[in-house]
Amino acid sequence: MALPAYECPMVVVGAGPAGLCAALEAAEAGIRALVMDENERGGGQLYKQIHRFFGSRHHGAGKRGFEIAAEMVEGCERAGVEIRLSSAVLGCFPGGELLVDGPEGVYLLRPQATVLATGAAERCFPFAGWTLPGVMGAGAAQTLLNVHGVLPGKRVLMVGAGNVGLIVAYQLLQAGAEVAGVVEAERGSRGYEVHLQRVRREGVPVYFRHRLLAAEGDEGVEAALVESVDEGRVRRFRVDALCLAVGLVPQAELAAMRGCRIAYADELGGFLPWHDREMRTSVPGVYVAGDAAGVEEASVAMDEGRLAAVAAAEDLGALDGARAAAKRKELLARLEGLRGGPTASHIRRARARLNAG
Amino acid sequence: MKERKERKESKEREEGKATGEGGRGAARDALQGGRDDPWTAAWEVSRRKAVAVVDCRQEIPCDPCETACRKGAIRVGDDVCALPISEPETCDGCGRCVALCPGMAIYLIDRSADGGKAAVTVPYEMGEEPRAGMEARVVDGEGKELGRGKILEVRAMGGAAATLLVKVEVPETWALKVRGVRLRQMFIEEPEEVEGYRGTGDCLICRCEEIARAEVEKAAGSGFRSLAALRRASRVGLGYCQGRFCREPLREELARKCGRGVEELGIGSPRPPLRPVKISRLGGGDVRDTQF
Ligand SMILES: Cc1cc2nc3c(=O)[nH]c(=O)nc-3n(C[C@H](O)[C@H](O)[C@H](O)COP(=O)(O)OP(=O)(O)OC[C@H]3O[C@@H](n4cnc5c(N)ncnc54)[C@H](O)[C@@H]3O)c2cc1C
Ligand code: SF4
Ligand code: SF4
Repeated sequence: MALPAYECPMVVVGAGPAGLCAALEAAEAGIRALVMDENERGGGQLYKQIHRFFGSRHHGAGKRGFEIAAEMVEGCERAGVEIRLSSAVLGCFPGGELLVDGPEGVYLLRPQATVLATGAAERCFPFAGWTLPGVMGAGAAQTLLNVHGVLPGKRVLMVGAGNVGLIVAYQLLQAGAEVAGVVEAERGSRGYEVHLQRVRREGVPVYFRHRLLAAEGDEGVEAALVESVDEGRVRRFRVDALCLAVGLVPQAELAAMRGCRIAYADELGGFLPWHDREMRTSVPGVYVAGDAAGVEEASVAMDEGRLAAVAAAEDLGALDGARAAAKRKELLARLEGLRGGPTASHIRRARARLNAG
Repeated sequence: MKERKERKESKEREEGKATGEGGRGAARDALQGGRDDPWTAAWEVSRRKAVAVVDCRQEIPCDPCETACRKGAIRVGDDVCALPISEPETCDGCGRCVALCPGMAIYLIDRSADGGKAAVTVPYEMGEEPRAGMEARVVDGEGKELGRGKILEVRAMGGAAATLLVKVEVPETWALKVRGVRLRQMFIEEPEEVEGYRGTGDCLICRCEEIARAEVEKAAGSGFRSLAALRRASRVGLGYCQGRFCREPLREELARKCGRGVEELGIGSPRPPLRPVKISRLGGGDVRDTQF
């Protein structure tokens, strides 16, 4: 088949914080990147977020996710970055071509540099009744709530008390749903204490050391069965929706298709494209950033996006070694700061392993 | 265990401060690691004016409280994970930090009016609209209702999508315990006990191709050792979703069955198209019949 093909200096896959910051940084070095995203809006995860973001002043923290997303998209427009929305990258061939399905049709791109900033996908796990209407990922619930203004259910059970589960539980309450509880298999939350407290404060019980067994119902979810891990006690929660927030997995498929070496780090979500500290993968000209390079946070994604663009610009000869080094030093120091706390010890451990080989 | 310890410390701190002197030294040592205890200071300053109290006890990468404050009364410093330190004397009670803290962990206390009352200002982000003069349920950090309080004032702060700051009047002894107001009546129904639960039987693992977990177990048991082999045997993971839903569970199931680590199975060999796409579109170019 003869598909139209286009040459370009740099393609960024994903218009989340990682991809948009990569494009902004590239623009500073004089490279006009083309950003592709399958969504209808730019901003990745951020445009769905109505809560104020933690992070630092360098990352827009204190503003709401959708506000940060809008600022980044505007920044890109000012810098002359082209963002192609509703454009899914379907494949990445060993020769470097990207297969795109967008409003213009299906076509190929032949970039000199490719930044993979595809984010992460929600983890799923099978249980009896998981295909019933009303069972959904926390991300899907958020899209319903914050993008379409639809309540996923009147009474919801949240599974998973990490930051995503806690934040989405709070957003469900904001939209007027009842949250019957948050169920978490571990002894405590992996999420931040302030987020746990916000949910508790609204009177939502958090069940640690409990696990979901099954969803019950005929046409849709009517109840959820939950077991306490230590006592083996089983209880039935009457709910009409079940939200799963049990982790995210880096979207590493494009990198794998391209032939990038794939590494594994449980702490970062599973399989991910191996990369060095400067965000270069094992394949020259291919870079990775953000949740796709290991699930962390938006602020980390932004700085990783910039690092990836610095490496790409240097490799393309658009940035000289000294300037690249100076930028990199600042970004790496910032990342070290973001990952410096006790809540990130597992991230530091995984990153050290990754860097060692 | 750790959680319980922290809770105990926060309890000591609240009780210590709310009753005046008792437990002051202990709370300082436990919470501030020997730094000046801003809670004690805030409690004292609040006798004269409204002042911010910061209840942020975990070192997370976060500093909007520092940038919010135009008086420089909250400091996080160069280490973005450091705990914020507040200076009650410098604070003018403007409330910007209360509105902008993503953890909703800051509030204002004001004991300047006499009569054993305190005015506490908390951030509010729920749907029901609070108005001055209303009675609200006042809750502590665990969501326990302390009692009712009268709303004295409601104001919006913090950009276009503002946060509401709700000021409620409460007995002075609650001043350091209040963490929120609730307007909604919560009906948290107790879940019912299920006696003699015997399991729910099998479930689907691949929803598109309708393949049950037992089939996958059987295939894995009869020698299939990779996702690719499993796919060839059963079409599992080859449905419309292109394996998006079932890939991870499949891998975990297979790893468990084979007694191997998930990482040993590898990521497999993903092939384009990554997303479902109409074959006709791949034929090249004719997009006239497609709606966008
Ligand atoms: C509920 C929730 C709350 C959060 N709260 C915070 C917070 O308060 N502070 C914080 O720092 N972080 C927070 N995060 C985390 C943060 O959202 C992510 O870490 C961040 O969005 C990662 O950025 P990214 O650019 O790597 O990926 P994403 O934001 O996921 O963007 C990836 C983009 O790539 C696109 N894409 C993927 N594959 C393709 C393809 N093949 N073709 C075309 N486009 C593709 C996707 O459509 C998406 O738009 C939160 C996350 C969630 C889910
Ligand atoms: S209330 Fe105002 S002055 Fe006081 S710490 Fe907060 S932002 Fe600063
Ligand atoms: S903004 Fe709030 S959550 Fe963030 S460091 Fe300051 S007090 Fe803590």
